[in-house]
Amino acid sequence: MSKRQLAMVMDLNKCIGCQTCTVACKTQWTNRNGREYMYWNNVETYPGTGYPKNWMELGGGFDAAGDLQPGVIPNLEADYGVPWDYNYESLMTDSADHNRFQPHISPTWGPNWDEDQGAGAFPQDNYFFYLPRICNHCTNPGCLSACPRDAIFKREQDGVVLVDLDRCQGYRYCIAGCPYKKIYFNPKISKSEKCILCFPRIEQGLPPACAQQCVGRIRFVGFLDDEESQVYKLVHQYKVAIGLRPDYGTQPNVYYVPPTESPAKFDAEGKIIEGSTRLPIEELEKLFGKEVHGAIKTLKAEMKKRKETGVSELMDILIAYQHADMFRLDNNYYQEVAKEQKRTPLAPVDTRYIAGKFTKAGGHH
Amino acid sequence: MNKILTSLLSLGLACSAALAADAAITAVKVTDSLNAIKADSAVWSKAKFSSVTLYPQTAIEMNDKKANALCENAKAKKAQVAALYDGSTIALMVKWADGTKDVQKGPTSTEYSDGFAVQFAGVTAKPQPLPYIGMGSVGRPVVVHLQKATEKVYEPNGNKDVSTQINRQQTGVFEKELADYDAKVVALANTDYERVFVGEGFRSLTEIKDGSVKSQSAMVHGASGWTGTLSRSLKDDYVNLSGTVPVSIAVWDGSKMGRNGLKNLSAWIAINLDGQKSNAALVADLTTDSKGDATKGKAAAESNGCNGCHQMTSADPKSFMAPSLKNVGGYSTASYLRESIVKPSAAIVPGYNRNAHSNTPWYNLEKGKRISTMTDYSHLSKADVEDIVAYLKTLKAEVE
Repeated sequence: MSKRQLAMVMDLNKCIGCQTCTVACKTQWTNRNGREYMYWNNVETYPGTGYPKNWMELGGGFDAAGDLQPGVIPNLEADYGVPWDYNYESLMTDSADHNRFQPHISPTWGPNWDEDQGAGAFPQDNYFFYLPRICNHCTNPGCLSACPRDAIFKREQDGVVLVDLDRCQGYRYCIAGCPYKKIYFNPKISKSEKCILCFPRIEQGLPPACAQQCVGRIRFVGFLDDEESQVYKLVHQYKVAIGLRPDYGTQPNVYYVPPTESPAKFDAEGKIIEGSTRLPIEELEKLFGKEVHGAIKTLKAEMKKRKETGVSELMDILIAYQHADMFRLDNNYYQEVAKEQKRTPLAPVDTRYIAGKFTKAGGHH
Repeated sequence: MNKILTSLLSLGLACSAALAADAAITAVKVTDSLNAIKADSAVWSKAKFSSVTLYPQTAIEMNDKKANALCENAKAKKAQVAALYDGSTIALMVKWADGTKDVQKGPTSTEYSDGFAVQFAGVTAKPQPLPYIGMGSVGRPVVVHLQKATEKVYEPNGNKDVSTQINRQQTGVFEKELADYDAKVVALANTDYERVFVGEGFRSLTEIKDGSVKSQSAMVHGASGWTGTLSRSLKDDYVNLSGTVPVSIAVWDGSKMGRNGLKNLSAWIAINLDGQKSNAALVADLTTDSKGDATKGKAAAESNGCNGCHQMTSADPKSFMAPSLKNVGGYSTASYLRESIVKPSAAIVPGYNRNAHSNTPWYNLEKGKRISTMTDYSHLSKADVEDIVAYLKTLKAEVE
């Protein structure tokens, strides 16, 4: 466990699946140099196959006894999908051939292949919601446990989980070990890479790109031990934000406010079934464990309170009025950390990320 | 006819070699410079090849489900090894059968390349006992030369350098930088995977990147499999090779998703530098088997409860506390086994499958020193220890 832990809360009631976070992350980090296929941030439709395909069935994580479980490494083409591009130039020529506009490969799979399909029968009881996912920067990371080279480390100052690219030899056990499949293999440099929680931004007091750009303002960022942070209030005070698949035993640090609102079902005549809800509670229990019941109860009660009295701190937090309140990234704290480590405060990147945590100049001795 | 006779003879040799430790290899002294030696260099005609057995590494198991299934009950392999040396350089050739040429290329996440490695014992005040066979042990460093099968392809970032990466979409901003970068990439467009590491035990392997080790390795695939060559200086900051040189060889099979621990490796084998005074004690240690009684040893191992923590054979359930011993007889020397029984903390090997997991530690820290969780069996009689060693030496997979 690190000294402090930076965490993110995502309010699933407000995610509209616009993928702005995905694009913010992609343009910042993964549109080049072997990372093209990676989505450090993705938004998938739940229920659905997810990204990579059926990631929940690929193993990894820890069992109840705390033992690392074997896992399967997804295939780039079949499970992630090879990014394809189009011959846009062909649209500029006046041709009778309507099939001239083509992708450069014949796509067989890709992220969001089943977007918005969900489950159930239309129009009676079909349903889905969006599940945005980044690396959970776990307190007990499966990737870190699986690495036979000590190439993965968790930063003391904020618990961000990073790959030491100098030590990484591309064995990919980390991918098998991560139950969320949020660490990826870069075939160009033959090393693993993952979400870095935008630490170069964080160290300068900026939230991760995905959180800053979110148009639904669903993402809160702050330190879990900072009682003034909205992250602390949502996770520890109101207990309405829960980690994804806590049964994997990695103690994830991305928390979700579960979706509470879903429309009622229709009967065979197309009439509303009063008191029914489309979102099966079993699905939420699968994703968030038993704690989801308490979270939903609190959310409903506070919603009612707000309706009746006009006052609810929890609802005010979830309305997300001000970025300044949603993101508490104590910039001064990172300046102090930098001074302690005898580095220039506000260094743009963590030096270990480039040079390697255990590598000393001049070799081993 | 001659061919048949030779292959029959070599078959006979292979069979008898499987029973005993591999014989010492003679490094023939040559006057040619070995710095730029390649697999097809004429000087190899002077070399004497010896058979070396490579056993599947099963002490620890990694967490890749598919790879583990592919490597389940893997067999031992034979490699032909020869060595040459001149005044300053030693060269090794390793030939092993591998029907498929696996070279990692293109955008793929689930393919692995074939490879080979040669491990040398590092410089220490006390060269014996030798380092632990699996990447050395604390205070007993090893130097590992690793070559993976690669093909020369154009790819940006050939220098594995993340700090110079530029977003190609932003040509307006980075036009000059992109041009510079492309020029640099053209100059670097070589993805040869040839690395040298130094290590003192599991997880400690660190790449030597300062150029202080002068070496050169390559792999060539032919009809009968791979031929790997390595040449390195006899003496540098990390090794000092003279007289008898202990080495061990490992090979990886990409078609079985081999990488890291999923490999076949030899025990320490002795290479005598021809014309130099050999280390008779070391040669004897690496080439003679235990004089103990394996049958008595099996009974002694059972009565002392070895299988309470260790998996002894494939028939036993996997135990997560300690390394599996089902191939320990293949890649361990008798002296290592002897030492491990009476001084378990001398070289600490991680548990079978738990990697870094805190629930099943393979050592405790006492005053900053790693102490093995294994019981000390120094109270056993010398004869009992010798019998157990003889039994452990029988624990190994058969040759493919």
